[in-house]
Parts: sequence; structure tokens; C-alpha cells
Amino acid sequence: MMDSDFDYEIENQDFSAIGKRGIWRIDGREKASGSAIYTADIKLPGMLYARVFNSPYPHAGIKSMDTSKVEAFPGVRAVLRSDDPEIKDKVVPGSYGAPWYVLPDWAMWEGEPIGLVVAADSEQICDEALKLVEIDWDIRPFITDIEDAQKPGAPELHNKVPNDIYDAVNENNPYASAFSELFRIAEGHRTFEQGSVKKGFAEADKIIEFKARRRMHTWAQPEIPSAICRWNGGYPEIWVKHQHAYEHKQVMPVWFDVPMNKVTLHVPYQGAMFGGWNWMNWSTVIHYISALLSKRTGKPVKLCFNRRDDFYGGALDCGTYEFKVGAKKDGTITAVAIKSDYVNGPTAAEANTGIYHFIENSRIPNLFKENNSVVVNRGPVTAVRCEQLANTLCFNMVFSHVAAELGLDPTEVALKNDGYDGEDSEYLTECKKRFGKPQRDSLRECIEAGKKAIDWDNKWHTPGTRKLPNGKMHGIGFVWTHEWNSKRGAGTVGVLFEPDGSVSLMAQRADTGLCAETAYCQIAADELGMRYEDVFLNSHKDSGFAMMTPDGSCNLCTNGWVIRRACRKAKRKLLEFAALGYQEEFHSYPPAFEGCGPEDLDVKDSVIFVKANPAISKTVKEVVKEVMCVQWWKHPQIYDWSWKQTGAHVDPTGEASEELIDPNKRPHFCRQAHFMEVEVDPETGEIEVTNVVCVNDVGKAINPEGVQGQQYGGVYMAVGRGKHEEVILDEPTGVMLNGNLLDYKITTILDCGPIDPIIVETAMGYGPYGANGIGENVADLTSTLLGPAVYNALGVAVDDFPITPAKILKALGKI
Amino acid sequence: MAVAAKPGYSCPYCATSFNTVDDLKDHVLKVHGTEALPRPEGYVKLTVNGQAWELEVAPNWTLFYLLHDQLGYTGAKTFCDRGACGSCTVIIDGRPVLSCMTLAIECDGKNIETAEGIAAAKHPLIEAYVKHHAMQCGYCTPGFVVTAKALLDRNPDPTVEEIKEALAGNLCRCGTYPQHPIAIIEAAKKVLAARSENTPA
Ligand code: FES
Ligand code: FES
Repeated sequence: MMDSDFDYEIENQDFSAIGKRGIWRIDGREKASGSAIYTADIKLPGMLYARVFNSPYPHAGIKSMDTSKVEAFPGVRAVLRSDDPEIKDKVVPGSYGAPWYVLPDWAMWEGEPIGLVVAADSEQICDEALKLVEIDWDIRPFITDIEDAQKPGAPELHNKVPNDIYDAVNENNPYASAFSELFRIAEGHRTFEQGSVKKGFAEADKIIEFKARRRMHTWAQPEIPSAICRWNGGYPEIWVKHQHAYEHKQVMPVWFDVPMNKVTLHVPYQGAMFGGWNWMNWSTVIHYISALLSKRTGKPVKLCFNRRDDFYGGALDCGTYEFKVGAKKDGTITAVAIKSDYVNGPTAAEANTGIYHFIENSRIPNLFKENNSVVVNRGPVTAVRCEQLANTLCFNMVFSHVAAELGLDPTEVALKNDGYDGEDSEYLTECKKRFGKPQRDSLRECIEAGKKAIDWDNKWHTPGTRKLPNGKMHGIGFVWTHEWNSKRGAGTVGVLFEPDGSVSLMAQRADTGLCAETAYCQIAADELGMRYEDVFLNSHKDSGFAMMTPDGSCNLCTNGWVIRRACRKAKRKLLEFAALGYQEEFHSYPPAFEGCGPEDLDVKDSVIFVKANPAISKTVKEVVKEVMCVQWWKHPQIYDWSWKQTGAHVDPTGEASEELIDPNKRPHFCRQAHFMEVEVDPETGEIEVTNVVCVNDVGKAINPEGVQGQQYGGVYMAVGRGKHEEVILDEPTGVMLNGNLLDYKITTILDCGPIDPIIVETAMGYGPYGANGIGENVADLTSTLLGPAVYNALGVAVDDFPITPAKILKALGKI
Repeated sequence: MAVAAKPGYSCPYCATSFNTVDDLKDHVLKVHGTEALPRPEGYVKLTVNGQAWELEVAPNWTLFYLLHDQLGYTGAKTFCDRGACGSCTVIIDGRPVLSCMTLAIECDGKNIETAEGIAAAKHPLIEAYVKHHAMQCGYCTPGFVVTAKALLDRNPDPTVEEIKEALAGNLCRCGTYPQHPIAIIEAAKKVLAARSENTPA
């Protein structure tokens, strides 16, 4: 069967598991009953615990230190110092291959892990012992605010790993990735221009200028991270909490003199991390430390972080934004220019960050972007659900301000500007044809569904004009953009028929809760013709095959293809075996269906049958049961495997075109639209989110409850980001003030009104069956939806996120 | 001249001597109304999911540490480590309690239920949680299940508002919140139906 990326197969397919509701999550029972094991739960015989010293200063170096009292503390088994000859100034490949210090002796932010690590009988002993270190500090000037950092006289700061060291490490790392570049080139200014904004502004009826700001927010992962290593003779065994678990197996040979086939990898369940933690360079490097300490002590070592440690890092949108937009009276946008200063680097690495969705999603011809990285004494920023945050912030701000200032319905402004790369919907129509996609107007469908669900026509009003009987101001906001799809990713999977007729999908993957493993089993069930309950993926095992990680909303769109391909191959083998049996020189095994060819057979509900006469049938179990009787085997196992990389796409007409092979030149056809209602108390500045409608054209929902879970979860995370999530530092000392879950508030069940998760399925995605990703985009796009909603309520914009009551009162001139 | 020690066993409370251990035990129980022998410091007797445990705990052990690290009940999880998230919730004598904020030494004589026990007793909550996807990464999930079980024990037919109120102390970073009331209401119906079947008319 043909298996191209344009084979979307939605119509005329009678799926038994794909797209069905009420499918049981394969991880459900374990998780609900408390038997699911996470790295945090693991305790090995004789295990030592290790903790790293955190710098008390935001910018300081260790001139010298005395660790004798630490070493003498009862229960301490080993101390690793940053001046240890094995690690002094050592930089190794970290997460995504991005180089990082094993253990630096100077800090760029308060709390940075530096100087020494203690391994002891318990975490408490480590913490007590670490208090006894005596350090002679070189305290350096620091700056934590991005605006202050640009004032004359501010301390000049640079990326922590200098570029020459960076390059040298990358050169020796066979697994260095494109992503590690982000951290290398992040300093300074970059600009991007498409068309001419000067011309665009001249054509406009109105020029709209405004500013926005996003303060530092973070991931706050539920499971506090840790890294476990045990050397069994010369063979390390590691337990990894990380989205890229396999990467750890790859770096062990780069770090230590051990071949990859002698590294045993365990990937327990993962208490989510939303990208964030797993992009931190030392999220991988901590495994270097646990491995080194384990080697030295001869004991298993678990390097533990604590809750506070997990707050030292932020998201890529943290920064300041200045906008200038030109628009016609009817809402047609003629030019957009944005200048952004981002905290600590990587966001500024690409010149078009912030303007990207205008290219991907609109017909606006004239675009300009200036990106600047400003290094301050705060933790690194990384992709926290997700790297598109700066893009969606800019997109949301521009569209909501244009609509509000022109007094237009924002849904109309969206439809007026929808397109791709400066081209209008006619161009998209052409592309859809070229890519073999159906002709549907995704944005219009999403907007219509959402408007109906939220009763938009009765509720939308011009900004600041609706006071409710309870004295609060009613606001309603709308945002939109394209869907996320399979722009990157590769994966491998094996499919094996077990002798009892069940099917094992063999691959290693990190489960962060996306329900993806269940979706893989649904795809496998339909592709193989097996019952869903007969298929299982034990992703925690290191089977040698690694699937696409849960990153970039790309995993189902990658792994779905991989599973589909592998299952089609395995099914073919099964039917060949059923029809032809097995022959070799000294051995043969009779066919289960004498006189048939493989093409005469098919499988449904785990039963193989003759297509021309379905009454002639045998269960898969009957056919494969003698597959392997260990010593007296009868025939070989039936299995196959497949691999696929997504993102690169060949022209379906067969004429390879450069344009189509570049994933960035692949137009998005699917859209999403989100609506939020708020009540703002003008006396207290309190905001209540009373109603949210999410409409996502996911192309095809493989697991609808899983999709809705991401819609719900995305909104809850976004409401927190919009209203209260901020990592606050004490300005005079640079010390973090709210590194715990009492003071850094994430949303509770009470913090958001009802959410209506609407799924649109146009089959226009690039994933299998026309699917798109869903993991990140709702959280991403709705994080700044509170801005338009509050603007609509008050008639003044308060685009400084999080939008706290104090900022509202200030905007209203009350304080 | 050395005085030969009196044979037998003396009572630790009043020093009366007895010839056999059994006589001593009878005496202590009758006269002093307590265990036969003074308990070592930190000795606790408690029940977890119907299993009796007798153990010595250090004074600084939290109930979480005892259950999770010593006894292997991994259903209790540490998310916040300080009474802010509910992921370490267990039921003690019918009430949901944060095990990270409770000292193990205070739990002498207590009857404790964890998510593992709720699942082993085949409570319909587990099935409803799986069916309605009231989980993502699952790290907070056992804490929600335990809180929900305690709610249903005291209020077998809760409204959505009452459920939200009960779950307000449980944090879920994955934002699974809207799926919980659906699962809990379905489980509540099943518990009520099972009860009415078992109640003679
Ligand atoms: S870990 Fe006990 S309440 Fe959070
Ligand atoms: S399911 Fe992940 S924290 Fe609740």
C-alpha cells in the first residue's frame, strides 16, 4: 500500500479504534492507583543521595573554598569539588547537545548549581553538610531587570559558555543538534524584513503603536527532577527523567569511556516538564555528576533537586516588546514592525521570532522584526510549552490592538488577513490542491464554531462599554493562529506478534502524560486489524528503538507515521505467513490458509479471514501460536520495524521542488481560534475568567479525549500565566523570593470558569490521517488571551503579563 | 557475700516479680492497663489499606516518608513538599490528610488508606478516572483519587460545586481539572447503585 505524506485517508475508512471515544488509556490504571513509578519514587539498595550547592549570590565566583567540615560531617560519603582535576572547567554536551559546565565555580544567577556536590545517606544530610562549606567569594556586580540592563553603566554580561569552547565541545560530540546552536549565537541584535514596512505604513489609514511586556514565568513541573546512576562493574545503569531519555544513552560514551551497548537506560513515568526542564543544559549534565559520584563511591547515586531549584529558569517570551502597526479602516493590515528585547538569549537567535506567525498565517505583505538578547543575572530561558510563546504574544497583541483601535470585530479582522507568506486564501487553495488536501476554510470554520459556542454575536462589544449588574466590567477576547504540525521529528518502532496473539510495539519513549502511547496503540490496532486491547506499548523499556520524543507538538505526527508504516509492513508479513507458511532448507511450516495468496486475506478484530468468504477465518493467535517454543521452535517470529523523519516533504506530483522540501515553506492549512470571557472588578482590579471556548482544527483527532485534555490543560496553564505566574526576585540582592508553590501560584480547579473544548477535523494536517499536533498550542496561544479580554472589558490595554490587580488599578488611574 | 538475684521477671511499672513472662504480661495488662512491655521510643502501630504494621519511626519522619520511602506506597507523591498541592494526600480515619505535613510518630493507632488501597478494593473511582482521562502525566492523580474517595465517603452524592470545593487543595500542573468532576460523579453513581442493591428493601 502506498504510504506517502499526502495519503490522509479520512474518508472511506471505517476505523475501530482511531478517533473513537471511551478508549482506555494504557497508562490509566497504573497512574490512578498509585502504582505508576516515577524517577522520584525510585530507591535502590545502598543508594546515596546527592545535592549540589546553590550560589547565594546572583553573580559571583569562588576564589577558594574549604570543604573539610563538609567532608567530616557524619553520613557524608563523597564530596565533588569544582576544582577536582577530573571536572575542573570541564564543558560537556548537555541537553540537545548544547554544551554546559559539569560543575562551574562561578554563578550567573542566585541559586545556580556551582562549586561542590555532596553525596550522603540522605538528602537532609546533604543539605546540612552543604551549610558547612567556607567560601572566599569574588562578588561581582549584577543586574536582574532587562530594562535596567540596557541603561548606561549597567554591568556587561555575556553568555556563560564562550563561543569558542562551545564550538570545540560540539565538534567532538557526534550528537550535537541544530538546537544547540540556539544557545551559542544568542548574543546581540538580529533583524528581519519582508516587503517594505515603510511602504506599508504609507498605505495605512491608521498607525497604531503600543508596548507589551512578559515577566519571567516558568514550568513548575510536578515531579521534582533527579538523576540516578549505578555502575554494575563497568556498565552504567541510568534512570532518567527527561523528554530526551535516549539522548542520555548517547552522551554516556561521549562523557565516559563506555560503549553505548553497555549502558542500560530506564525511563520511568515522567511527572510532566512541558519542555522547560528538559531544555536546561544541566538537566542532562546532572547525569554526568551522578555517574561520576556513583563510580567513585561504588554505590547507586541519586542526584536530587528540590522544589526551589526547579524555579531557576524561565520561558522564551520573557522580555519587552514595542509594536508599530499600519492598518486600513476595514481592518486590512498593511505593515507590522516589532522590536523585542528578550531575557538571556535563545529567543533572539532567530531574526524572525515574533513575526513568524505573520509569515505563516497571514497575507500581511510588509513585516519587520528586530530581536535583541539582553543577558541578566537570572536563570536561562528555555522553551516552556513552548518556543512559540513570543510568536503568539506578538500575533495576539497586533490583532487585538488593531481590532480594538478601529472599533472592529476581531474575528472579522482575522478573516480579512488570513493567508500565508503575504499571499491570500486563493494561494492557499492552490497549495491545498498541490498537497492533496481537502478544500476547507479552517479559520472560518473555527471562528463560526467558537462564536456560536460563546454566543459571540450577543456578547461582543466595543471595549470598555459593558458594565454588569454586579458592578464588574465584562470583557470578551479572541485570538487565533495556525495549528502546530510535524515540522521536526524522527522515530523508530518495532511491531512484534507475540505467541499468544497479542502485539507488542517495541520502542523507548518518555511518557509525559500526553496520552500519545494510547494513540499509538489505536493507530496500530486499526492498521493491523487487531482489537485495541490486543496491542500494547511498553515505552519504559530500552528496546534499542527510540521514538520521537514528546517535543514540539510533533510526536504524534511523527510517531503516528512510524507506527503506521511499521504496522503495514508487519501485517503484510503476517498475511504472507498465514497464506504461504514458512519454508527453508531443512524445515517448513504449513500455511494456515492453504491455497490462498496473502492478498486474499485480511485481518479484523484480531481474526484473519478470507476476503471472498469471511466465514473462513482463524484468529491471529491460532496462526502465530507456534511462533517460538524456545527449544523446539516451529517457525520464526512475525515482526517488522520502520523509521521515518518528518518535516521534509516531497512534492506529491513527483517533481521534487526545493520549496516543498523546506518544511518552513510548507503552508499551514489548519487554524485554531480561542475565546475568553472575563469579569474585571474596577474597585479591586481582580479578574475572573468566567468562560473559555477553544476551537482547534486538529485535522484528525486520533484520541479525542486526549485532544480535549490538552485543550483543558492548555487553558489552565495559560490562565495562570496570564493572571499570576511570575518568578519574583528581590531587587537589591537578586535572590528569588517565591521559589515554592505557595508563593508562585499555579491555577487550581477554582481559577477558571467552564472550558468548552471544540474539535474541528478538516484532515488538512501533515500528520497521518491529516492530523496535527495539540500538545503546546492552546497553552501557548491562550497565555496572552487575557490581554484582549481585559482590553475589551476596560477599554484600556494592560499588556504587562501577568496582569495583576495592581496593574489593572494603575491602568484605571486608581493607584 | 553476694546476694543471689531473685529469679523471674519484674514489672517495669511497679517492680513486682513474676516467675514467668506470661504472668508478668497478665499483671501488666490487668493492673496497669497497658501493653506488656514499655514501647521503645518511636514505636507505632498502624493500619495501611487493611494491613497492620508495627514499626519504629524516627521523630523527624513524616508520614509521607514512612509510607513512600519505608513501606513502598508510591501512590503518595511529593509535588510541593510543603502542604500546598495535595499530591501526598492519604485518608486517616476517614479524613483526607497531607502526609508531607504529618509526622509518622503521630499516627499511632491510625487507620490509613492510600490510592493503592482504594484501587485494591475496586472502588469505581479508578475505572472512572481511566475512562474519563482524569489524568495526564499522572503524578498528581493518586492524590486526587484519595481526596475524591474521602469526599464520596462523607458525601455520596456531591454536586459539581462540592467536588470543586473538595478538590481545591489539589494542584494539577497538567490542568486536568475539568475531567475530575465527570469521573467522580460517575463513580458516585456506581457506589450509590451498589449500595442500594445491597440494602434489603
Ligand atoms: S507534597 Fe504534601 S501537600 Fe504537596
Ligand atoms: S496529571 Fe500531571 S500534574 Fe496532574
